[in-house]
Amino acid sequence: MSPTKIPGELSVSFRYTPGVGNTAFFEGLRDRAVFLGSRCEDCGVTSVPARIFCERCLAELEPSLECGPEGELVSWTLVRVDVDDQPLERPVTYGLVRLDGADTVLLHRLLHTGGEPAIGERVRAVFTSPREGSMLDVEGFAPVADGAGP
Amino acid sequence: MSPRVAVVGAGMSRFVRRAQETGKELSWIATREALASCELKLDDVDAVCLTSAPDAFDGVHRKGDYLADGAGAWAKPYMRTYVGGGSGVFTAIQGWYTVASGLADVVVCVAEEKMSSCQPHPQGAFLTIFDNILERPLGPNLLWIFALEMQRYMQAYGLDKRDIAQVAVKNKRNAAEHPAALLGQADITVEDVLGSETLAWPVQRLDVSPISDGAVAIVMASEDAAKRLTDRPVWIQGVGWNLDTTYWTNRDLAYPEYVENAARMAYGMAGVNEPRKEIQVAEPYDPFDYKELHHLEGLLLFDRGKAPEAAADGVTARDGDLPCCPSGGLLGVGNPIAAAGLMKIAELFWQLRGEAGARQVPGTPERGVAQAWGDLMQVGTVVVMGNGGGPLATATQSPPFAPRATSLSDQEFRSATGAVEQRLDTRYEWDPGEAIGAVLDGLREQRILATTCISCGRTLVPARKFCERCFRPTDGWTEVPHTGTVETFSICHVTWDMRPLDEPQIPAVIRLDGTSEGGFLHLVGEVAPDDVRAGMQVEAVWKPAGERVGSILDIEYFRPLEPELRRELVAVAAVELPVEIAP
Repeated sequence: MSPTKIPGELSVSFRYTPGVGNTAFFEGLRDRAVFLGSRCEDCGVTSVPARIFCERCLAELEPSLECGPEGELVSWTLVRVDVDDQPLERPVTYGLVRLDGADTVLLHRLLHTGGEPAIGERVRAVFTSPREGSMLDVEGFAPVADGAGP
Repeated sequence: MSPRVAVVGAGMSRFVRRAQETGKELSWIATREALASCELKLDDVDAVCLTSAPDAFDGVHRKGDYLADGAGAWAKPYMRTYVGGGSGVFTAIQGWYTVASGLADVVVCVAEEKMSSCQPHPQGAFLTIFDNILERPLGPNLLWIFALEMQRYMQAYGLDKRDIAQVAVKNKRNAAEHPAALLGQADITVEDVLGSETLAWPVQRLDVSPISDGAVAIVMASEDAAKRLTDRPVWIQGVGWNLDTTYWTNRDLAYPEYVENAARMAYGMAGVNEPRKEIQVAEPYDPFDYKELHHLEGLLLFDRGKAPEAAADGVTARDGDLPCCPSGGLLGVGNPIAAAGLMKIAELFWQLRGEAGARQVPGTPERGVAQAWGDLMQVGTVVVMGNGGGPLATATQSPPFAPRATSLSDQEFRSATGAVEQRLDTRYEWDPGEAIGAVLDGLREQRILATTCISCGRTLVPARKFCERCFRPTDGWTEVPHTGTVETFSICHVTWDMRPLDEPQIPAVIRLDGTSEGGFLHLVGEVAPDDVRAGMQVEAVWKPAGERVGSILDIEYFRPLEPELRRELVAVAAVELPVEIAP
């Protein structure tokens, strides 16, 4: 019999540059260890990461409003398996954080060491050094109660 | 009669080689400009229609919602449509039926394409148009399919490459006066096109529009809303779309039947009985220079094979009797695929309002036709637009702004802060299915199998279990000879990611003896490239029995039947290349 399965692939990879809004955001992280957002006064919404337009009214926005570095934990999950459903050696905790001054939430790792995170608790960004202009310039968010800070 | 729907606004980003802006940001630039052009706010918009060509350009398998924010779709009825390269014109059709159905009074239609993220070349995403089992093992280059069609078109009507090349010259010159154009060139000559690098003969570098980034948006409105919003609405008078067979090697590549079918649908709706008299400006789809001519014939604006002669006589020049691509088209403005199609609708809108500035065609055009083409080179999308004989403006120039979008240099692209590289690490295992499974078994036994349909009398290669025309099961298997005729061929000098080949490949559509139409894609070998001719008789050269595994590659290649034409085999091998992210 001839082969019943023919192997194939989609021969592409990608290089994404971050665009105008996210470039400002990443430069803020890299150069000043701050989170930059954008505020639309008409809609009363502040978005983080920064954007150059408001998705609700399409107004042009300045990607320049500092938010955080502290915020509120809105939700979290403890991940025990990888994308292929294999057990992770060390489970990872991810959280959604609403930075102070922002209306939107940010997805990142949680750095809790003792005990479970609690929805509503105060958390604070822990930055790496040196920083390259990447989401990984933030190591994650730790509970403010742990005293994590600059 | 359908309710009347008008275009009332349009906007676009600059078309660039490699945009600093994300696809979302490009979409926003176009959408915002379109709304501003008719003094609307996003709150005034009832629904949003979006299009963007293959997902794999962006590596985002949900481009509709990915681009939603930039398209102004927040909290609105929103849908992405997709018909490959035909998408840009189709999104105006989507906008038309969204309004004509009464679902919305005002819609925004947005077309975005960002091809520059795809590495090493967006052709990697395009290669999926070739059949997984019977064509991709041959290592095809996307250019093959166009080169084969162009060669067939030239051969069928005895056309001169020079007559075709002048389309590229006309469009790049036209685009020199388009503020958003990437490829405008006022001083380009036919010699420049004929002297440019040969990619896959007859396609040379300047016959084809390169990859580009950009976005376009239009605003469409119901009759009541349109009259409220502007004193110069441009009405959608007719829409049409049509798809030919998915077996592209079974089509007569000399003529785009699907474009004619779509055009007849659109003309019928528009009440256009004599398009050559009733159409004053045309924006046919021109990713290649021959395609403008091919499509003008499909649009019934010229007799078959006669568009090149008309173009040579200046009929299609901006000041000719039938201006074609006064915008500069894809060859001149650029080819961000879906956006380029909608750019044609925007251009007709500006032309029919008299707002095209330096690009404005002379006289008082009342009606125009825009057309795009895509999927497996088989879909035609057509829109007929008219101003109802209303007065033309003269003072305005549109796009009436310095269009936004910034192009990154290679260095800026490679060193951009925050840039991320990813591979779409997907692997597939394709089932040949019943019919092709049997064909592969046959190839292993050195037999070429076809199926037959007694209803339409066809012998079908590639074989299938059902006849797509009669929509009934095929009637049985037959073995066909290993000899056939070269219907069309190309001499290809580059790989799919545009690296030069040491020895050219000769892909061809081969019609096997005893089959009724078309044939299949394979390579020709044991022949000097200069000796290959359409109509040449060829025979299959098989791998030895022990090496045949049930693959299209069990036929190594086809060689001339005439021994005098044969020479030592140089190279025909398939050239699948590993993908690496460029440094």
